[in-house]
Amino acid sequence: MDFLINLTPHLVNGIALGLLFALIALGFMLIVGVMEVINLAHGSLFALGGYFAMMIIGVEPGWFGPLGDWYVGLPAGARYSFALVLGPIAVGLVGMLLELCLRGTYGKDPLFGLLLTFGAAMVIEELIRIGWGSGEQFLQTPPAISGAFIWNGLIWSTYRFFAAGFSVAAIILVWLFLERTPYGAIIKAGAHDSEMVRALGINLSQLRLYVFAFGVALAALAGIIMAPIWGLRPHVGVDAVIPAFLIIVLGGVGSFVGAVIAGVLVGLTVGITGAYASEWSLMSMYLLLIVVITFRARGLFGKKSMLEN
Amino acid sequence: MSIQQAGLSKKTGPMHRAIIGIAAAMLGAYVAQVSVAAAGTGPIVIGITSDASGQYANSGASDRRGMKMAIAEFNAKGGVLGRKIEFIHIDTETTPATGSRVAERLISRDKVSFMIGAVSSGVANAISQVAQKNGVIYLNTNSSSPTESGKNCHRVKFVWDGNGANFAQAAVSNAIDSYGTKWQLVTNDYVWGHNTASATKALVEKAGGKIIGEILVPQGTRDFSSILLKIQQDKPQVVAAAVGGDDQKALRQQVAQLGMGQNPAWINNQQDWPDVYGLPTDNLFGVFGTTWYYKLDLPGVIDFVARYQNMYPDTKMKVPGNVFYNGYMATHSLLSAIEAAGTTNNHAVIKQLEQLKVSAADRMQHHDAFMNPKTHQMQQTVYLATANVGSSDKDDMFKIVSNSAPMKVADAKAEATCNLESFADTPVYEP
Amino acid sequence: MNNNTGFGAWITRPMLITFAILVSLPFWIDSVGLYQYLGVEIVIWMVYALGFNLLLGYTGLPSFGHGAYFGIGAYAFGLSQLHITESIWLGLICAILFAALGGAIVAAFLSHRRGIYYALLTIAFGQVFWFLSIKWHTVTGGEDGLLNIPRPDLNIGFASFSLSSNEALYYFVLALFVVVVIGLWRLVHSPYGTVIKAIKQNEMRTGFIGYNVWLYKWSVFTLSTALAGLAGGMFAMAQESAYPDVMSLHASGFIVMMVLIGGGMVSFWGPVIGAAVYFLARDLLGSATETWLLWYGLMFMAMVMFKPEGIAGAWQGFIKRGDASTDGDKKPVTR
Repeated sequence: MDFLINLTPHLVNGIALGLLFALIALGFMLIVGVMEVINLAHGSLFALGGYFAMMIIGVEPGWFGPLGDWYVGLPAGARYSFALVLGPIAVGLVGMLLELCLRGTYGKDPLFGLLLTFGAAMVIEELIRIGWGSGEQFLQTPPAISGAFIWNGLIWSTYRFFAAGFSVAAIILVWLFLERTPYGAIIKAGAHDSEMVRALGINLSQLRLYVFAFGVALAALAGIIMAPIWGLRPHVGVDAVIPAFLIIVLGGVGSFVGAVIAGVLVGLTVGITGAYASEWSLMSMYLLLIVVITFRARGLFGKKSMLEN
Repeated sequence: MSIQQAGLSKKTGPMHRAIIGIAAAMLGAYVAQVSVAAAGTGPIVIGITSDASGQYANSGASDRRGMKMAIAEFNAKGGVLGRKIEFIHIDTETTPATGSRVAERLISRDKVSFMIGAVSSGVANAISQVAQKNGVIYLNTNSSSPTESGKNCHRVKFVWDGNGANFAQAAVSNAIDSYGTKWQLVTNDYVWGHNTASATKALVEKAGGKIIGEILVPQGTRDFSSILLKIQQDKPQVVAAAVGGDDQKALRQQVAQLGMGQNPAWINNQQDWPDVYGLPTDNLFGVFGTTWYYKLDLPGVIDFVARYQNMYPDTKMKVPGNVFYNGYMATHSLLSAIEAAGTTNNHAVIKQLEQLKVSAADRMQHHDAFMNPKTHQMQQTVYLATANVGSSDKDDMFKIVSNSAPMKVADAKAEATCNLESFADTPVYEP
Repeated sequence: MNNNTGFGAWITRPMLITFAILVSLPFWIDSVGLYQYLGVEIVIWMVYALGFNLLLGYTGLPSFGHGAYFGIGAYAFGLSQLHITESIWLGLICAILFAALGGAIVAAFLSHRRGIYYALLTIAFGQVFWFLSIKWHTVTGGEDGLLNIPRPDLNIGFASFSLSSNEALYYFVLALFVVVVIGLWRLVHSPYGTVIKAIKQNEMRTGFIGYNVWLYKWSVFTLSTALAGLAGGMFAMAQESAYPDVMSLHASGFIVMMVLIGGGMVSFWGPVIGAAVYFLARDLLGSATETWLLWYGLMFMAMVMFKPEGIAGAWQGFIKRGDASTDGDKKPVTR
């Protein structure tokens, strides 16, 4: 009984952590699933999102004339909300540039896309270092979602629950977009049959441009959400790529539901080993992957993908 | 080493001897080449081996600024022994294997006279091994691993930062008196973490405290939520954290979010200034160690800060911190030692450095400092600090709570584990 | 030695040119502004890259965790020298065997998988090994590394050479490089080589013809990890230490980049070119600018966008017009 009482907080914490992992993997999954590009720049763009948000929140009086001054006068929550919208859009534009560079690799060995995005990851990381310095930065969160509360005799972080809730909302919205709108239908069609999409008269290269930008914007969104937890430094993205990779393979490439479930599963595994055998907490996610892939070739919910060849 | 081996093989046949002859000739040519370069009276070239990318890029940059300021000040006085001082920097990338290659390059291609700079102990080890092989004096400015002046000490290497054991000495007995005897350790699961934790553990037990548990944190941990919940469940009075690098940055941010920085009491080993500069003060939880602070009320400090600001007007870090200070002091002491020795001959300079004593006034610290000739670690004042909550000056982040004389915080284990190479085994190098 | 029958199948003209350049390297490397130690590292990484390309370029299997086996080789070399006895041959055999053992076990998990799942499993296993190298610090020295690994004399029965100078070590690793090049050249032109190339083309069809695809995939992976182990062992000799970083995901990624940049997908010599270009660029950029990572990344991007087949591929396209006569120095290579 004591054990159960001890365990419960860790289960709750693990699920919250898992939702954050799912958010980190979301944009990566979309790009892999639809475009069959393994975007190794996901991490750098994740970091860039955090930096852009920090800039947007930290605008100082006199930077942009009267409009800027009006903006500076807004409450912290409003500026934070602005950052949550504008940050991903700005990163999405950067993503569009990257997509233009990627065009030559379509239809070739997926390794080329991977190599190009690996190069892009270095470039973006170094540009962050040039622009903001290599030091630790800080992303201010509004008071309403900062601080802590006590539940069951333990202190919990308000921000962490906000972040988990935000992840749920983002995941549902993306899901609705893909499943319930005509755009989503086109994207999914593009994923499975690009010739069909072309036959329908849809401009495939434009579709890819927007999908890539959208996926990258989701990476930035995750970066903004994670910055107050992980901190913000030029190479913070490295910490995001590996879990993202792991989660989409665990869930099965191309499966939205799979990625979400895998994210939560990884969160629970890391959270519980963190409490009872913390020295193995990082290792646990790799062992989980090895066990699952050994028994289920395409992860939990994977379908056949070009990336298998 | 090679000369000895060649000399030893007298019993071998003509073929063998011929081969050794060739090898010796090659070696001779190599040595001759080196001494040609050495005889020069041109500039003294310092190879700066600090990180510009990877985990310690930011500290590396600060370290580098310290060295450059010391070099600039000596050059303004006309250099050392009438020779100008130049430097060349190559990024060591916070990666030991790169450190080896950079050291090989600096010595064999760029013919540097001395090498300075490290934040990570792995990189420092890699460089110092190459340095020792060639007899090049190397200053480890900022790596605080106890192994640097213990197991992995070298005749050519000098260590300028306080280490984990020093900081633990300064913190533990105070903390038992003020906060309680029930301690929990949170330890990064790698060599530095374990060394620091075991020093803390021994001190806690000696002072009558009790360790109720140790949570091992793997390197690369970014989420401490489950560990922070576990700490709450275990209810220690004091948590001693030996968590470093980026892991520490994530930890303190998450502790700040929970407002757990005061209860339980936290003992953090060391907080490097470049890691904390510009962050809100609640990120600086608990008590932590440092070797210097820019608001120490001592003569010379204000002038030192002014010189920094004058030389680096555009740097984001408006005031110097401990990493800059160590880089500056190490370089300054080296150049002074060369001057005192009257030569750049490595053996002579090493001997000067081994008997180095710097007065409290010159160090801008509370106590005189001296080099321990047996471990090559600078024995210096160790300060404990906490967050300066409610400060109106956003640069003034630390509140210094105590200072300890070097002897009181000496790393007792170092002398037993450090075994310096003899001078005979250290090649002569005279740049 | 020059006119044996079947000589062409064993030794080719590009090989002779490559060997000639590399053998003469210590005589001119200083005058072009480089240094001998860099030559040692480059040749070691060439061995590593050649072994890796057997897997990536010839069999079409992407591994992103190969640094693990390089690292195992380095640790095995070091531990055998420190705890058993100082001997180059013992050290290198341990390096090869332990890396291959690790590789064989991992390959057993991998060889039923393909594409991204294959790649991801290699990452997962690579991370496990990397993690263990830090965690098991009582054996490996953790992040401080396994230090003071001796660089033993080379004993070939009747004579013994000191390898303490970087020149001597360079010729030793070059000799091993020559053996590896000739061996791999034979292997990829043997029936075995034909089968693995067929697996790259179409794994399923190769299976239908009746080849045991699993066994081929398993053996290629194991072989390539054995070569990674050999390279790791030599690296431990060069650095006189072994560190966990070479096992990290980042370092594993760099070997992939090296092979692709050089043109490993289209040429046997791709990995050799790639390793040389990679290290030269890194060394020159690293000393010229603190923002070398930026230029490095741009170089990768430009390469993929404009010459995706790599340097060897670009070169092949360039000389296709006519067999340009190369004035190669045809020194017999007997080391």
